[in-house]
Amino acid sequence: MSLPAVTHFERARSWRPGPRLVSLLVGGGAAVLVLYPIAYLIQASLSVGDPQARPPEAYGLANYADLGRYAHIFGNTLLVAAIATVLAVVVGFAMGWILSRTNVPGRAAFEQLMALPYYVTPLMGALAWALIGSPTSGFVNQIWRALGGDGHLIDINTPWGIAWVMALFEGAVAFVMIGAVMKSMDPALEEASQVLGASRLRTMLRITLPLVLPGVLGAAIFVFAEMLGSFSAALVLGLPNRFYVVTTAMYQLVSQYPPRFPTAAAMGVSLFAVMFAMVWVYRRIVSGGSYATITGKAFRPRVMDVGRLRWPFLGICLGYLGVAVILPVLTIVYASFQRLTAAFPRRDNFTLANYATALSLDAVRSALWNSLLLGFATASLGVVLMGFLAWLIYRSRLPGAGLIEYVLMFPQAVPRLVFAFGMLWAWLVFPIPIYGTLWLLLIAYLTVFLPLGLRTISGVILQIDRSLEESAQMCGATWGYRLRTVTMPLLKPGLVAAWLLLFIASVRELGASILLMGPKSKVITPAIVESWFSTSSELTAALALLQTLAVAAALAIMFAVARRAVQAGGE
Amino acid sequence: MSQASIEVRDLVVRYGAVVAVRGVTFTVGAGEHLTLLGPSGCGKTTTLRAIAGLERPTSGEIRIGGSPVFSSSPAVNVPAERRGLSMVFQSYAIWPHMTVFDNVAYGLRVRRRPEAEVTTRVREALDLVQLGDLGARSASKLSGGQQQRVALARAFVFSPSVLLFDEPLSNLDAKLRAEMRVELKELQRRLDITSVYVTHDLEEALAISDRIVVMRDGVIEQVGTPAEIYDRPRNTFVADFVGSANLIRGRRRPDLERDGLVVIQTPGGALVHGISPDRRVGAEALVAVRTVRLRIDRVRPATPVNVWPARIRQRVFQGDFTQYHIDWEGRQLIVRSAAPEPMAEGDEVFVSVEPRHCVLLEE
Repeated sequence: MSLPAVTHFERARSWRPGPRLVSLLVGGGAAVLVLYPIAYLIQASLSVGDPQARPPEAYGLANYADLGRYAHIFGNTLLVAAIATVLAVVVGFAMGWILSRTNVPGRAAFEQLMALPYYVTPLMGALAWALIGSPTSGFVNQIWRALGGDGHLIDINTPWGIAWVMALFEGAVAFVMIGAVMKSMDPALEEASQVLGASRLRTMLRITLPLVLPGVLGAAIFVFAEMLGSFSAALVLGLPNRFYVVTTAMYQLVSQYPPRFPTAAAMGVSLFAVMFAMVWVYRRIVSGGSYATITGKAFRPRVMDVGRLRWPFLGICLGYLGVAVILPVLTIVYASFQRLTAAFPRRDNFTLANYATALSLDAVRSALWNSLLLGFATASLGVVLMGFLAWLIYRSRLPGAGLIEYVLMFPQAVPRLVFAFGMLWAWLVFPIPIYGTLWLLLIAYLTVFLPLGLRTISGVILQIDRSLEESAQMCGATWGYRLRTVTMPLLKPGLVAAWLLLFIASVRELGASILLMGPKSKVITPAIVESWFSTSSELTAALALLQTLAVAAALAIMFAVARRAVQAGGE
Repeated sequence: MSQASIEVRDLVVRYGAVVAVRGVTFTVGAGEHLTLLGPSGCGKTTTLRAIAGLERPTSGEIRIGGSPVFSSSPAVNVPAERRGLSMVFQSYAIWPHMTVFDNVAYGLRVRRRPEAEVTTRVREALDLVQLGDLGARSASKLSGGQQQRVALARAFVFSPSVLLFDEPLSNLDAKLRAEMRVELKELQRRLDITSVYVTHDLEEALAISDRIVVMRDGVIEQVGTPAEIYDRPRNTFVADFVGSANLIRGRRRPDLERDGLVVIQTPGGALVHGISPDRRVGAEALVAVRTVRLRIDRVRPATPVNVWPARIRQRVFQGDFTQYHIDWEGRQLIVRSAAPEPMAEGDEVFVSVEPRHCVLLEE
C-alpha cells in the first residue's frame, strides 16, 4: 500500500515548475503579442458594414473585390520595388565582389564603412535627396539653371527618385547578404577549376556565378519584400505629386476624414500575403540544398589582383558611400544652418535660428524626450524579453519552440505600418485604456522589433557551445544559477549589441509610430515628417540632426555608465 | 572520497524516428572504472549523457548508489544538477569569462562552501593536475592541454560520487594524448572514485579501464576486462574494432577436438586449433587471430599444431614493427612482427600460432 505514496513523492520531487512553465508563459505571451494585432487586421479587412462600426456589422470579401480600384497603387508599388531591387542588388553585388574578392585599396576600412548607409535611414535619405533633387528648388537643379540650363535636370519626386533613395539604403543590406555568400565560398572550388585548365572567365561563369547565384537571388527577394513595405521615402517624395504606394495609400486612407479602415486593412492584408510568400521563398532558398556553398566555415577568400582596375573600383566604392552617406548628411547639415536653402552659400544666409526654434518648441522637446524614453524602455525590456525568447527557442528544447520562433518572426514579413494598423484596431477595444499613450508605442516597438532582437541575440547564443551550460549543470547548478553565472555573462556582448540596435531603431521608428502616437504622446520621427510638410525644410533638417545627436549623446552616456558599472563591479 | 555504484537497465533513448540506444543493461561497481567503447554513432555518448541526466531516456531505469535517478515506470527523472555526478566534456566546456580559479571553484560555490574551504580545495585540485600557479589566469588564455586539466580539476574538486568522461582526450594531439592517458590513470587511482569513460580509442580504453563495454548501433556487443576484450573478442565486430585481427573461416571438426581445444578446417584443408570461451557457434565457424600473435620462421617450429607453410608476398616497414602480407591457403594473412632481422618478399616461411590465441567467434 505504501508504493503509490513513494511514487507520488518521487514524481513531486522530479517535477520542475521553473523553466517549463515560465517558458510556456513567456513564449506564448510573445506569440499572442504578434498574433493579436494580425487577427484584428484580418477582421477589419472583412468588415463590410459601416466602416466605423466596432465590432464589424457584417463580414464579406467586398473590400478585397474593391481593391481593383486601387490597381494603379499596387502597380506603383511593384514598379518602385522592382527598380529599387535591381539597383540595390547591382550595388550589393558589385560592392560585395569588389570588397571580398579584389585587392581594391582600403578593403577592410570600406567593409566597416558599409554599415553607414544603414544608419542614414530612408527618411534622412529622402529628406536630403528632396533638398538635392526636387525639380524647382533642388540644389542640382539650381546649379543647372545657374549654368544656363532650362527647367530641371533631375526630378526626385518620381518613382525613380523614390527607388533611388531606397536603393541607396537597401544596397548596404544587399551587400551584407551577398558579401557573406562570397566570403563563405571555398576558394578551392575555383582553384580546382583553374588547375583543371579552365580560364579565368570560364571559371567565373561556370563555377563562381552558379555558386553565388542562390545567395544573390535570396538577397533580391529579401530586398524586394522589404521594398514592398517601405514607407518613409515614398511618403516624403511621393506625396507632393500624389504618387502613392500601398503603405502611403493605407496611411492616407486611415488619416483622412472619414477614415476608411476596412479598405486600408484589405490593402494591408494583401501586402502582408505577398511579403509573407516572398519571405517564405527566401527562407526556402537560404535553407535549401542549393545553398551548399555555405559550410559555416570561414574561408580566407582568394583575393584577385585586378591591376589598374583597382582605381575605378575604388571610385565605385567611394561613389556609393558618397551618394548614400556623405552627400545626404552634408546636405542636411548645410540646410539646417540656412535661412532659406540655396545651393550657393551666402554669408548672410547662415543662421542658428533653426536650432533655436527647434529647441524652443515644447512639442519638439517633449517628442524628443518621449522618443529617448521609449528607446530606453524598449531596448532594456526588449533585451530581457528577447534574450529569454532566444534562449527558449534555440536552447531549451521546449516542445513547440520551433512554432514560437516562426510566429515571432512574423513581423519581419509585415510592414510596420500595416502591423501598427492591426494594433490600432486591436488595442482600441482592449479593456485597459492604453490607446494614445506611450505604453501602446512601447508594446508596438517590442512587437515589431522582435525579429531584429531575436536575430541579433540568437547569433550569439548559437555560438555558445551547449556544453558550457551543461557543465554548469553537472557541477550541480540549478537553472537560475546557470542562467546568471554562465549563460548571461557569455551572452553579454550580444545583449549589448541588441540593446544598441533596439535603442537606435526605436528612436528612429516611423511606420508604426505615425499611426499609433496620440496627441499627448508624440515621438520625434513622425514630428520630423510633420514638420517637413507643414513648416520649413531648414527647420526639418535641424530636427533630423537633433534626433541623430540625441541618439549619439544617449549612447555615449550609456557607454560611460556601463563602463563605470563594470569598473565598480571589480575585476 | 565518496563512491557510488551505477545500474543501467533496459535503457532506450529515441530521438524521433532514430533509436540511439536500444535496450542497454550494465552495472558499474562502486569505485570501478568502466569504459564505453565503440565507433561514432554507437550510442556510447548518449548512454553517458543519459546517466548524467543531460539526455532524457525513452524508457528503462538508471540507479545511482542504489536509488533511481531515472525510471520510466514509476516515472522518475532527477535533474542532472541533483544527481551528484560530475562530468568532463569533450569540448572541455571551460567558461571563457572566468579565471581558472573561478572555473574550478564553481561546483564548490554552487554548494555554498565557505570561501576559505573553496580556496584550499581549489588549490589542492589545481596542484593535483599540475596547474598550481595558473589560478589567476583567464581561462580563455589556456592551451588545449591546460584546458583539459582545468576541466578535470573542476570535475572532481567537489567530491562527486561518480565522474563521467565524454571523450576527454579526443581533442588533444597524439603525443599529449598519450601523456594525459597516463596522468588520468594516476589521477583515477588517487581519487579512487567511480568513473564512466566514453571513447572510441582502443588504447585509451585498454589503458585506463577496469572493465570495458563495447557498443555498436545502440546495443552492447561485449563486456569484459581489457585483457578479455583484447584476447577473447566475442564476435567479428569486436575482433575487428579492438585492434587488427585475421579472420579464418572453416568447418568445425568435433572429431579432432581434444584438451579443451576446438578445431576448424579451412576450405584448403588446413586445421586450426583454437579456444571457445562460452561461444555459441554452428558447424561453420570463424576464428580470430591477432596479427601480433602470429609468428613467422624460416625453419619449421617444433609445435604439434597450428604450423603452416606460407610465402611472403609483401613487406611494409612501419617502425615499431614490420607488417607482412603472407600468401596462405589461397588468401592473405597479415602478420606484425617486431623481429629485428626482416624476411624478404618471396621468402618461403612457416607461420605458427599458439592455440590459445585463436579465438572462436560468434556471428
